Order: sequence, then C-alpha cells, then structure tokens
Amino acid sequence: MAMALMRKEARIAWALLAPALVVLGVFGVFPIGYAAFVSMHRWRIKKGDFIGFDYYLRALGEVDFIGLLILSVILFLATSLIRRRLRPYRVCGFVVAAAIGMGAFLGMATTGDEKLFNSFLVTTFYAFGTIPIEVGVSMLLSYLLFKATFAKGAFRIFYFLPYVTPMIATAVVFRTLFSPNPSSIANRIWGFLGFENQRWLFESRSVIALVCEALQVQYQPWVNDFFPSLALVVIVLYNVWVYIGYDTVILLAGLSAIPRHYFEAAAIDGANAIQSFRHVTIPLISPTLFFITLVGFIGTFKAFNHVYILRTAGARDTVDVVSILIFDRLYNYQDAGYASCLSLILFSVILIFTIAQNRLLGRRVFYGE
Amino acid sequence: MENVPRYFITWTIYVALFLGGIAAVFPFVWMLLVSFMTRGETLRKVFTPADLQWGNYLHAWREEDFALYFENSLLIALLQVVGTLLFSLMSAYALARMNFRGREFIFYGILATLMVPETVTMVPNFLTVSWLHKTGPVAWINNWPSLTVPFMGSAFSIFLLRQFMRGIPSELWDAARIDGSGHLRFLFMIVLPLCRAPLLTVGMFTLIGSWNALGWPLLVTNNPSWRPISVALQKFVTEAGPEVHLQMAGAMIATIPILVIYAFIQREFTEGISMSGLKG
Repeated sequence: MAMALMRKEARIAWALLAPALVVLGVFGVFPIGYAAFVSMHRWRIKKGDFIGFDYYLRALGEVDFIGLLILSVILFLATSLIRRRLRPYRVCGFVVAAAIGMGAFLGMATTGDEKLFNSFLVTTFYAFGTIPIEVGVSMLLSYLLFKATFAKGAFRIFYFLPYVTPMIATAVVFRTLFSPNPSSIANRIWGFLGFENQRWLFESRSVIALVCEALQVQYQPWVNDFFPSLALVVIVLYNVWVYIGYDTVILLAGLSAIPRHYFEAAAIDGANAIQSFRHVTIPLISPTLFFITLVGFIGTFKAFNHVYILRTAGARDTVDVVSILIFDRLYNYQDAGYASCLSLILFSVILIFTIAQNRLLGRRVFYGE
Repeated sequence: MENVPRYFITWTIYVALFLGGIAAVFPFVWMLLVSFMTRGETLRKVFTPADLQWGNYLHAWREEDFALYFENSLLIALLQVVGTLLFSLMSAYALARMNFRGREFIFYGILATLMVPETVTMVPNFLTVSWLHKTGPVAWINNWPSLTVPFMGSAFSIFLLRQFMRGIPSELWDAARIDGSGHLRFLFMIVLPLCRAPLLTVGMFTLIGSWNALGWPLLVTNNPSWRPISVALQKFVTEAGPEVHLQMAGAMIATIPILVIYAFIQREFTEGISMSGLKG
C-alpha cells in the first residue's frame, strides 16, 4: 500500500517537472553538445562537411602554440603539488610555467583569429573596468543606506530604477547623452569643466591617446591597441550606472542580516567606526560581496544587448565584446559552425574564470560557523 | 570619529545618498524633458522645452510599425511570464515538497544550467528552432513559440520558488491531507496564494528579460509581424537621422509599461531580490 502511494507520488512529481525539464533539456542542456557537433562542421544555413577541429585552429592559432599553452597549465598544476617547504622550486616552476604560457598566448594571438583576440581584450577591459567601480560604489552606498535613519525606502526605489527600466530604453538615452554633438549633455558638462568637445561613443582612440593629444605629447600608435577606447569607457559607465542599484539592494540586505550584537560587542571592545567596518562588517558581508562579484563578472562576459545598441560605426571594433562577435558571425555571415566554435571558447573561458575566482576569492570568504 | 558631531555625520550621509539618487534619476529626467522638445530645441543648448510637444509621442507611435511592435512585446511578455511562472511553480513544488528518487540529482542538474551563458545556447537553439519550424506542426520562425518557449524553463525561477516553498510549514500539508486534498489541489489552493511575493519577483525578472531581449528576436524573426519593441527602438536609433526628440518619446513609450508594473509590486520585488542574494 505504502509502496503504491509512493509510486503515485513519484508519478505526479515527474509530471509536474516534465514541462520545465523538457524546455530546459532542449534549450539549455542539449545545445552544449549540439554546439560541439556543429562547431566541427562547415555549417552555413545547412550542414556541410566534417572538418574536425579546423575552426578551433583558425580561432586559436597554430597547434604548436596551443600545445605549449596546455603544457604550461600542466606545469603550473604540477608545481602547485610541490611541498610548500621547497619554496625556491615552487617559485621557479611558477615562473617557468608563466613564461611558457605567456609565450604560447602571444603565439596564439598572432597566428589565431585577430578579431577573437581583440574581442577578448575588449571584454577584459570591460570586466575589469566595470566590476571594481560597481562593487566599490555599491558597497559605499549600501553602507550609507544602512546607517541612514529615514527615507531609506525612497532611496532604494530610486537606486533601483536604472536596473528595472528596460535596458533598451536607457541605452538609447545614453546614446544621446554621449553623442558627439556639441549640444549633448556630456559635451556640455565637459565644456563647462573647460575641456574640448569629445566624440564619446564614436571615438575609437584610446583614452590614453586622447590625454596625450590634449597635453600635446607624442604617442606611439600601439597606445590605441592596448588601452580601452573612449567609446568603451562610456559603455562601462553605462553598465556601472545600471547595476549599482541592484548590487546596493543586495548588499543592503546582507548588511541588515548581520546580527546587531556583533557591532555592540565590537563597540564594547573599543573599536571605532572604521575598525568595526573593517573587522566586523567586511568579513560578515563577504559572501554577498563574493556573490555580486561573480555574477558581475559572468554578466560582463555575457553582455550583449546594451553593447549592441551603444556600438557605433565610429568606435569600429574597439567595443566589440565576444558575444557581439558571435552574434555577428551568425546573423550577418550565417556561419553557424564558426559561431558555435567561438561560443564554446567563450564558455570555456567563463568556466575557467569562475573556477579561478572561486579558488582565489572563495578562500577569503567568511561563511560563519 | 567620536569627536565628530552626530548631526554632521547624518548630513554627510544624506548629501552622499542624495547625489547618488540624482545620478540614478538624471537620465530619466532628461529622457522625459527631451521627449517633449521640438527638433530645434534638441539641437540648441537648452534643458527644458518651451512648450510640451505631446505630438512627439503620437509621431513616434506612428513611426513605421511602432504600435505593432509594442503590441508584440506585450503579447510575448504575457505568454512568457505566464508560461515561466506555471512551469517553475510546478517544478519547484515537486522539488521542494514531494518525495521521489532522483530529486536531488534533478535539482542540482537544473542549477548547473545556470552556468551556461545565453551566447553559447544561442547558435544551436537557432538551428533547433529552424528545424522545429520545418518539421513541427506549428510555425516557429516569425511566430510566438520561438520567442517565448525557449525561455520558459528558468533555472533561476525554479530555484527561488523552491527555496521559498521549503519554508512553508509542513503542518499545512498534514492538515490538507486530512481534509482529503491531494498534491495538485494543495499546490494550487494553498501553496500558490502563499507564494505571491516570490512569484511576483520571478514574474518581474521574466518580464524584464523578455522586454530587453534583442539578439534572439533579431535571429528568429525577419518581418515585423512578431518583432518586439526592442528591435524597433534599436532600428530607430541606429538607422533614423538625428531626431532625438522622437527617439526619446519612443524610449518613454517602451519604458512606461514596465515602470507602471514596478510601481505596483515594488515592495515584493526588492524583497525578493534581497532574498536571492543571500545564501539559501
């Protein structure tokens, strides 16, 4: 009897799960394997010849360099197994692994798909420009909100507006705020501060080059290749503006969840405000900080919509993050094979990044008892 | 800090918060003001329109197929929100409150799909949808299924709802069972009303996601019949001339429905978000 009841319950449970599982399976899990399959074929509109790893070689460069990179990773992992007491050997191993890795990466970048490596560079600028500012400012704002005594709710609503409003609309607004037109708000403020008009979202030159120009200093052309363009900086600004409110609300919830008596205990022990922030607030909020950092990083690597709206012909390829490149391959070239290959490379990078971040930052996170 | 007067600290806090608020709201104010300007005013260095040009809204609404796109977006959002909520509610209930073999495995499997970025699934999903379009009983390309169905399995929504349902006291289930209720009736009569707040949160997230979608709709539609408003705005901005006032009116039209809904469920939504960031 009990068995029959349990079996009936299981049947209902599976029936309840079925719709979501089917959709998730078909559109969430199956695509990973399918993408791998597609990436090994020529695939323009229709399936073509099997070409194995040709696309990967085209994207990542000569096979020797890829092998070298894998070698350096193995060396790195092997070195980390050396006992800590044998410090000189460890350091040696890491330095050699890093040197080989750098060399291999440079080789890949010169022999591989120039556009892909450019887009990874852009994505890196984008992520490292966005996350520190976003987390820093939202930490400050949430702490201030936490300390505030009245009108908390009102501020929370205002800070949250940029996140709730359709990105599609706010990106359009930013496009006009930062237009190269002399009457645009950005140029008016810039002029008010005593600077010359800028081309903002239409500017492909790097910020460093622009500073050099303003100071009338000679600069080398590579300055434009290895620093973010002004257009990208504006997109970073947009991203920060959108997500600060979201991060602030989450951090505020984290702060409010800290039991009051921790602060009281710190105060009794004679801690001042800064000490109590550093030694009580920060460790207790660290899981939330870790969460928003991780989500933020993954978000910048996936960014598509607003970049697609904010990109201009003037900015050329200086704002093309990886997902723009992939979309372009599929939408404008109908090249599903190569697009799949690129998307799987992006996926691997995100995975490696997540694991690395977990190991580097995760250790410092304090989860309490 | 002890020798700093208390009111000074309070003032500093509020000035800083206020500056932050201005930065958050300024683009909205500007969008609103420009949407009422004449074309001449947008080119001059003015900040407020002399007269409110309500005609801009009418003009933007009639521009190409803006009204049709708007209607499409509403329909897509409605279907997607209802579908996602229903599917997620059912799965979350099974995962939170029913016993069957493989439950934990399924739960962690669903969570693992959160790691897969949309960019990766986009290419194969486009091929899958094209295949379904050719072989399936309904048209997928240029039709609502391709725009809504792929998003109805939402790992995040299932996770959030399951966490919430685990907190519902089991005495309720015992009482319902004594009264002769089965799982389905318990789910829809008791659990559903209790899940109001997390459902609103999940619904709002789905709505925002659906409203913002741009890349995918561009791929699976090639005529205006089912294109959403995001595509219309994007075209409006990148193809039209410097008609900033009309662009802003269009952006306002795209913003209003979302903000109205947000105004109604603001409390539940911010609470729900706060919950999602905490360890569950």
